[in-house]
Amino acid sequence: MSDTLPFGIDQSLIGSEFDSSTSEPVTAEDIHEYAASLGETYAGYFGANPIAPPTFCMKFRGNRFSHPSIPADAFRRGFDAGKDIHFGVPIRPGDVVHTSNTLHEVYEKTGRSGSMVFVVSRQRMTNQRGETVATIDNRFMLRPKADA
Amino acid sequence: MILDLHTHSKKSEDSRATVVGYLQWLLKKKDLLPIDGLVLTEHRQFDADSDYRHLEDEYGIRIFKGSEVETDYGHVLVYGVNDAMLARFDFSNVRLNAQELITDVEELGGIAVPCHPGRPTVGLCEHYENKAPLEGVRAVELLNGGSRKGENERVEALVKKYGYGAVGGSDSHLVSFIGICATEFPREVSDEEDLVRALREGGYRAVDFRDRLKGP
Repeated sequence: MSDTLPFGIDQSLIGSEFDSSTSEPVTAEDIHEYAASLGETYAGYFGANPIAPPTFCMKFRGNRFSHPSIPADAFRRGFDAGKDIHFGVPIRPGDVVHTSNTLHEVYEKTGRSGSMVFVVSRQRMTNQRGETVATIDNRFMLRPKADA
Repeated sequence: MILDLHTHSKKSEDSRATVVGYLQWLLKKKDLLPIDGLVLTEHRQFDADSDYRHLEDEYGIRIFKGSEVETDYGHVLVYGVNDAMLARFDFSNVRLNAQELITDVEELGGIAVPCHPGRPTVGLCEHYENKAPLEGVRAVELLNGGSRKGENERVEALVKKYGYGAVGGSDSHLVSFIGICATEFPREVSDEEDLVRALREGGYRAVDFRDRLKGP
């Protein structure tokens, strides 16, 4: 297997962190507001000590969209190709969520429309106890320039 | 024996189907889909590790393994994958040389079958318009469950012109697509090596079950 990935990305960059951030403590009001906005009626999302709906973790997006080694203009020739989310422990009031983003995978494939490069950024979220809140693999499909 | 020769499980990055999901679906639809077995042809890899024997025993459906690789003539299914092939070719390379693949896989005890030949960019038909035909192709995928209108029809002319054998596969990435196209063999197929023998022997045909699923 080649040491160089599409876009000339060095294989050694796989797994490298390109962004991290830590949230303010989550409040019960934050959770209530989020659950209400979704139309949730489950009692566990409300009250004095609620748990957050699983997708609440999507609020914590970090600061950078993608690894700096991915050419920014490539995103003009692609689209969001979906995400896989593995949920961990629920978020509760008082939790501080730490988010770490790493370059998880870069691979190429061919389809009806030509060559496609997929870039997967992994976003791992943990709480102040080090427990995993969620792991999100954000997948982007980008076009190499020759096919643009 | 009827085998779906082209399927993807969640081992392929663009599939969410589990193998057990496929088996449960086939069991549920057994009156409409008489599939005796399937071949997992994961994209750009060979899954040597997964052991599905307990599922075969539980569901009475054979599970074989192969690969779908990408070449300069489009995508190709590889059956009878072994260590020698994996040493010879980097299955993750999307620019494999198709002629080398066809020739060397054959020599190393397998068989390489171009799939969805009617598909733009990744199908044999388009490449044959601009390049010399490949030598040593025994069969192509005449029926692909993921083809769009006109793509399978395009392959009929190819099969006729070159005298290729014709197989079928669902190309399923979702559970409910399993078995919609398949290949009927004139005999039982016992394992991956025997599948290669059966494909070399000929006498099989591509079968299409999509009309059965449409209902009245």
